[in-house]
Amino acid sequence: MIGRFSFGVVLVANRGEIAVRIIRTVQKLGLQSAVVYHEVDARSLAVTLADHAIKISGKTPVSSYLDADQIIAAALSVGAGAIHPGYGFLSENAGFARAVEAAGLVFVGPSASAIELMGDKIRARNFVARSGFPVAPSAIEEDDPGTFLDRARAVGAPLLVKPSAGGGGKGMRIVRDLAELDDAVAQARGAGQRYFGDGRLYAERFVERPRHIEVQVLGDSFGNVVHLHERECSVQRRFQKIIEETPSPVLSADLRKSICETAAGIARAAGYKNAGTVEFIYGRGEFYFLEMNTRLQVEHPVTEMTTGLDLVEQQLAVSAGHPLAFKQDDVRPSGHAIEARLYAEAPERDFAPTTGKVLALEYPKGDGVRVDSGIAQGQLVTTAFDPMLAKIIVHAPTRTEAIARASQAIEDFVLLGCETNAAFLGRILRDEGFKAGEVHTGYLDEHPRIAKGAAPDEGIQRRLLAAAALLTRPVRDAAHAVPALHASLGSWRN
Amino acid sequence: MHHTFDIGGNSHAIWLSRSAEEYRLTLAEDRSAVVAFVQTRDGEGRLTVDRSSEPIAYVVEGDTVHIHLRGRSYAVRYVDPLVALAVEADTAGHHIARAPMPGVVVSVKAVVGERVVAGTVVAVIESMKLETAIRAAQDGIVETIHVTAGESFDRDAALLTLSREAS
Repeated sequence: MIGRFSFGVVLVANRGEIAVRIIRTVQKLGLQSAVVYHEVDARSLAVTLADHAIKISGKTPVSSYLDADQIIAAALSVGAGAIHPGYGFLSENAGFARAVEAAGLVFVGPSASAIELMGDKIRARNFVARSGFPVAPSAIEEDDPGTFLDRARAVGAPLLVKPSAGGGGKGMRIVRDLAELDDAVAQARGAGQRYFGDGRLYAERFVERPRHIEVQVLGDSFGNVVHLHERECSVQRRFQKIIEETPSPVLSADLRKSICETAAGIARAAGYKNAGTVEFIYGRGEFYFLEMNTRLQVEHPVTEMTTGLDLVEQQLAVSAGHPLAFKQDDVRPSGHAIEARLYAEAPERDFAPTTGKVLALEYPKGDGVRVDSGIAQGQLVTTAFDPMLAKIIVHAPTRTEAIARASQAIEDFVLLGCETNAAFLGRILRDEGFKAGEVHTGYLDEHPRIAKGAAPDEGIQRRLLAAAALLTRPVRDAAHAVPALHASLGSWRN
Repeated sequence: MHHTFDIGGNSHAIWLSRSAEEYRLTLAEDRSAVVAFVQTRDGEGRLTVDRSSEPIAYVVEGDTVHIHLRGRSYAVRYVDPLVALAVEADTAGHHIARAPMPGVVVSVKAVVGERVVAGTVVAVIESMKLETAIRAAQDGIVETIHVTAGESFDRDAALLTLSREAS
């Protein structure tokens, strides 16, 4: 392994489960790991595991992990030669990537210019379209205002008309019958002027009940790009992914080949190096480019489970200037993998965040079960960061077996002291629609009972009360204080 | 004596008694069961209810017993009889505005001694990146403000106490 890397110490500019996950690979490769941390994370698993831990500070815990200057100084202070940004925080910040390289360090990720290109949604979309790949058919009014209505009609229904300056869904109109187009345009224009002071419009093909399918790509500095197949991430709530899997249960072999090759083609056209993910909207046999994420994704482990590759190892090798050690044909995924995200939130109470102290923690074990976790016993769960606590990842020969394995792993995951969404994850995995692979990004909104759940039944309640009574001192003491004769009367009351 | 436990916001009254060799749990409507618990190792044990036995994991934290049973975690909170009485007495003359979820106080809109009507915004909190107004649930006079702007709190924390006006 000696000499394989141009750096001996890798600093992780992140926290939680992803910091732990990166540190493990860095150490596995015989390199030293370093991590920056804010005071609230002083007792975290990442800090305990890392060979070097450097404290950073800021007005809020989050702001310290966004402080590029402090992080680069920390890396230099321990002799790190590379910085891995993980996901979130500074991972898609082109300025940070440039600053890392200006400091003489390796940024474990794509070039700053690739981050910039893909970070601007309109530029990215135009680049993809110009390169000959599918984007949702659309008409942009300002291209030629006089022909906008005709061009919108040519795109066809169903159509989404939205203010160009828009965001957050404001002023968007769905047109299912082109006869309604004129009205929708007038309304969207009015809304655009009201909300954004800008009446320019944009129309694009509306995909009903869309699915979110993404493709993992990997490129090196020599122009080689491979794809590592797709991940289906349609189980979402307000754009937050909850369960991801690979392969997608919906794609035919032809479509799978086509979407994966499209993703690799986009990355190749962009001269992309390192790990990245091309996201698509899929519906009714058609897919369109949505965006490209220029970093490691939260859900990358499902790809690792089916391909047998360690994506962080691949990222480090590419960053150290090595060519990819395999070709497209060498990538042969096997079986089915599912990831479920454990969040500190209560789906039963409209996904309110939960807090607490991790009092008991036991991970599920067994063949094909992996847990990526950043929490440790005794740790406080606060609202200072993203509520994701851990990921439960399973691998099995078939989807049915993977679902069963995931359900079992979630039940075997013991975390006491902070309420989580574990029961909700179990309900999704048992849902008939999910089992049949019939989900889309609006599925959970259409089926609110999955989030709501049901109160524990009488039998469970009785057991909980029995356990609690026997484990609560004053209750036990009171039972001992009552003479047996009175107790045997049973229904005697005070 | 009766004891009260809270599971997910619902109160349950129980009675635990002991005869020579066993504990008997009595719930409302006088349904009862013979119950037993044997610790097998730290934080784990076997729970038996009417001869049906199964493993559980548990942690006792103050007045709350956290239990992992049949693949799910629950928090069962013991409501101290004195506290239960105090709350009853308290609600006779006061109303406490509690936090619906954990978060941070953005601003406190009321001052001690202020007379407010039901619906008046008394504080603004931030949680899940959203601001939520906390409103007075009844007419009254602000008696105590338990938090200050910038302070973080947990779910159910008391934010403000209103005293009911003498009519």
